[in-house]
Amino acid sequence: MSEEVLSIKNLKKEFGQNKVLKGIDFSLRDKERVVVLGPSGSGKSTFLRCINRMEEPTSGEMSFEGTLITDKNIQQMRQKIGMVFQHFNLINNLTVMQNLTLAPAKLKLMNLEAAEKKARNLLRHIGLLNKADAYPASLSGGQQQRIAIIRAMMMNPEILLFDEPTSALDPESIGDVLDLIREVVDAGMTVMIVTHEMGFAREIASRVIFVDQGHIIEEGTPTEFFEHPQTPRVQEFLKKVLY
Amino acid sequence: MNEFWDKVVELFTTPQYIDSLLHGFLLTLQISFFAILLGLIIGTIVALIDTSKRTKWTILPKAICKIYTTVIRGTPMALQLFIMFFVIFAIRGFPQIIIAILAFGFNSGAYVAEVIRSGIQSVDKGQTEAGMALGLSRFTIFRRIVAPQAIKNILPALGNEIVTVIKETAIVSMVGMYDLNMAAKDIGSGQNMASYIVPMFVAALFYLATVYLITFIIRQIEKHLRRSERRA
Repeated sequence: MSEEVLSIKNLKKEFGQNKVLKGIDFSLRDKERVVVLGPSGSGKSTFLRCINRMEEPTSGEMSFEGTLITDKNIQQMRQKIGMVFQHFNLINNLTVMQNLTLAPAKLKLMNLEAAEKKARNLLRHIGLLNKADAYPASLSGGQQQRIAIIRAMMMNPEILLFDEPTSALDPESIGDVLDLIREVVDAGMTVMIVTHEMGFAREIASRVIFVDQGHIIEEGTPTEFFEHPQTPRVQEFLKKVLY
Repeated sequence: MNEFWDKVVELFTTPQYIDSLLHGFLLTLQISFFAILLGLIIGTIVALIDTSKRTKWTILPKAICKIYTTVIRGTPMALQLFIMFFVIFAIRGFPQIIIAILAFGFNSGAYVAEVIRSGIQSVDKGQTEAGMALGLSRFTIFRRIVAPQAIKNILPALGNEIVTVIKETAIVSMVGMYDLNMAAKDIGSGQNMASYIVPMFVAALFYLATVYLITFIIRQIEKHLRRSERRA
């Protein structure tokens, strides 16, 4: 077994009276590709968003590469835990190039010149070099999301979290975005992906976890999960989504 | 109609009247300028406290800001002016212009705070999250991402507030200060021209021209800032 990069113990998250996560235990190993499935409202996005503290957990312990994640070190941790959002979240007042270089240059991971060179290479790779000086508002959803993915890659993260990366896209651009995610994964990135794309989940996952009502109720390899689901809840879910 | 034009000629050919008008106008501009400046400073500070993260260190400042904006926005400007003049600064010989600037500045600060607060809060939460996820500090996120976007939402409403202050300073005539409004009334009175229509008309034009100029400048700045929304 390869090295454990992320370890989560008894993670709970409540929004007022609403208990969304009721005690999640989870660990992620290097080069793993974990797909998080579950019905809407199950807490799967909240789970992902607690990892880099987009949501403040109510209780529980999380360690990244053996170090406890705290309020003090969260900024350093986030540099190593990339995130791709459902709604892309490119920064509206910055050009594509500035979106890509702001954080690496500001955080002194590399100088601006090196960052711009790297950004140009990545943009060329996804065929959007001609958009370097464009503002996000002028780009399609698919273009924005692919730029958001390479923006996360600019940081050389250890792991990359995808929060429903294709849910806000039109059907035609979903393919382009999935192709890019596939490429990132093939290059050896450790990823966690919340998605509703079952075919993609099955193809890309090394492990599938199923979240329902704030608990992980089942996990396994894609073959185990999709062909021999153990719990009635997962059997019912798969029957509905894979008709 | 002839009589009207005679009065226009009289107003513009009597040095004493011109002098009064210009003095009044200057006072109006002075009070407005410094009150707006003070209002911007107070408003920015209050808005930043108001939108800051809730911790044990910010509870008290947040409460004070809340009381301040509630009281200021819930009471008449004229009453606030009276309180400043006759209660807080009821000191013989204290410069009236400073009292007026403080009264309008404190008043405007509450409205500016609301304008800035809602401008900051109207920036999509995803924009802040993008910065957080990249490991940027709260300060960098505010300076490079939130503030530049908030300003676009803030500016039009801020322009309104500036215009409001300029017009509202006319009530300083209620405490006897010789501003543009008071000058018009004085020139039109029985001891002078014995006709209000022309001086008041001229005062109105002065206010209008000032307001128009400010509105024009703000529009230009807005246009300049909107360039990042163009479709490339």
